[in-house]
Amino acid sequence: MSDRITVEELAELMKKAAGVTVAPEELQQQYDSGFDALGIDSLGLLGIVGELENRYGTPMPTDAEKSKTPRQFLELVNSALLAGA
Amino acid sequence: MSEPHPRRAAVTGIGVVAPNGTSTDTFWKSTREGISVLDRVTRAGCAHLPLRVAGEVRDFDPQSAVEERYLVQTDRFTHFAMAAADQALDDARLGRPDTDAAPFSVGVVTAAGSGGGEFGQRELQQLWDKGSRFVGPYQSIAWFYAASTGQISIRYGFKGPCGVIASDEAGGLDALAHAARAVRRGTDVMVAGATEAPLAPYSMVCQLGYEELSTVEDPERAYRPFTASACGFVPAEGGAMLVVEAETSARERGAPVRATLAGHAATFTGASRWTQSREGLAEAVRGALHEAACAPEEIDVVFADALGVPEADRAEALAIADALGTHGRRVPVTAPKTAVGRGYSAAPVLDVAAAVLAMEHGLIPPTPNVFDVCHDLDLVTTRARAAELHTALVLSRGLMGSNSALVLRLGATDAS
Repeated sequence: MSDRITVEELAELMKKAAGVTVAPEELQQQYDSGFDALGIDSLGLLGIVGELENRYGTPMPTDAEKSKTPRQFLELVNSALLAGA
Repeated sequence: MSEPHPRRAAVTGIGVVAPNGTSTDTFWKSTREGISVLDRVTRAGCAHLPLRVAGEVRDFDPQSAVEERYLVQTDRFTHFAMAAADQALDDARLGRPDTDAAPFSVGVVTAAGSGGGEFGQRELQQLWDKGSRFVGPYQSIAWFYAASTGQISIRYGFKGPCGVIASDEAGGLDALAHAARAVRRGTDVMVAGATEAPLAPYSMVCQLGYEELSTVEDPERAYRPFTASACGFVPAEGGAMLVVEAETSARERGAPVRATLAGHAATFTGASRWTQSREGLAEAVRGALHEAACAPEEIDVVFADALGVPEADRAEALAIADALGTHGRRVPVTAPKTAVGRGYSAAPVLDVAAAVLAMEHGLIPPTPNVFDVCHDLDLVTTRARAAELHTALVLSRGLMGSNSALVLRLGATDAS
């Protein structure tokens, strides 16, 4: 497991937690699109945050679940992971 | 206050996901032929329970019925509702371009009794096996009675009035009445009905406390209402969704009106107080006839609640006689649900679907597994009976004391 959450891992979590399939390449292209446009609602994002917390054994910033875009989200959670490391 | 031109509520689409058919056509063929599909419960985790026989929907593939996100985010009862709504909208010839053009004129109302028990059990098992951090957020909505209404409105982009009815088995009829009222108040289209999925371990255990539940092991003998061997009811999953539409709207877009929802009334007589349900059910029938401006003699067929508990069966037979007078002893009565079981609030909606189909085909479907009727009723048994049918009465009672009656008329009313 890498110490940074990648677009690949986010795509996998979106599928697992919300049942939304987006290929990593496509997610990379839509890096600044809204999660709503990708089909992820607030509960879906909350589920992704929960998965990450369980996986890495560390709490994520409370604002993570309010992220609007994949870029915002990954920057937030990765800074938290780096800070915790 | 009566309006000069009341907006009548018409049925323009029917969608069915039932134990005896996952399309309206197969449901009708099986219902018409009186083929009982009651069988031993096969769902995982249920084998040790004393509830042996049920009506399972086996010919349903959720993966082909709904998108992946709904498999993750919603329960089986919502998958049924979405599949039935798809069929009903297709039957009504209402496509996405039609509803997208006027999203505020389409609403949704469903009834539910069991909610998403299977989804909830899965998440609660996560809670106790691994801890609260392993409960997914969709648990907050997937189990809920209102889930199907919400998810259908989201999936199609409907923005009209939405609601959920939690009033027991009879809520299935009440949901259709609610839809009819929404249409009268100005909404053009309501997607309305009920589906249930109560055949998972947790939900099954919840039902074991019902003294009306049949625990007979032989599928042919487990559910025999109106007979001396009545031994309770058998539960079922599945259900039906209808498109309930303003008759004027259907006419404008050239969609055939299959039936009109002419009258409805509901009463309450208390949980398992079956003797008292006689008075409550009769009063509901009178109210429905009154709203429909329908004389008792106009009722051509009655779809009975048929609980299968002697005291309740007697009360229903007497209620029919009380409300319809001498016509109550002559009118054909049927209970096709003995073929599939009682799907709680979905049961009367399936009966409404069967009633519309029966009127269209001039054929009263039989009551499978029932032979020696011990009440003063003309119950249609063994095989379907041909009859000219213009008006049908559908009855429903809930274990917690709700009674409802709905009067349906075939086809469109005369253009005025």
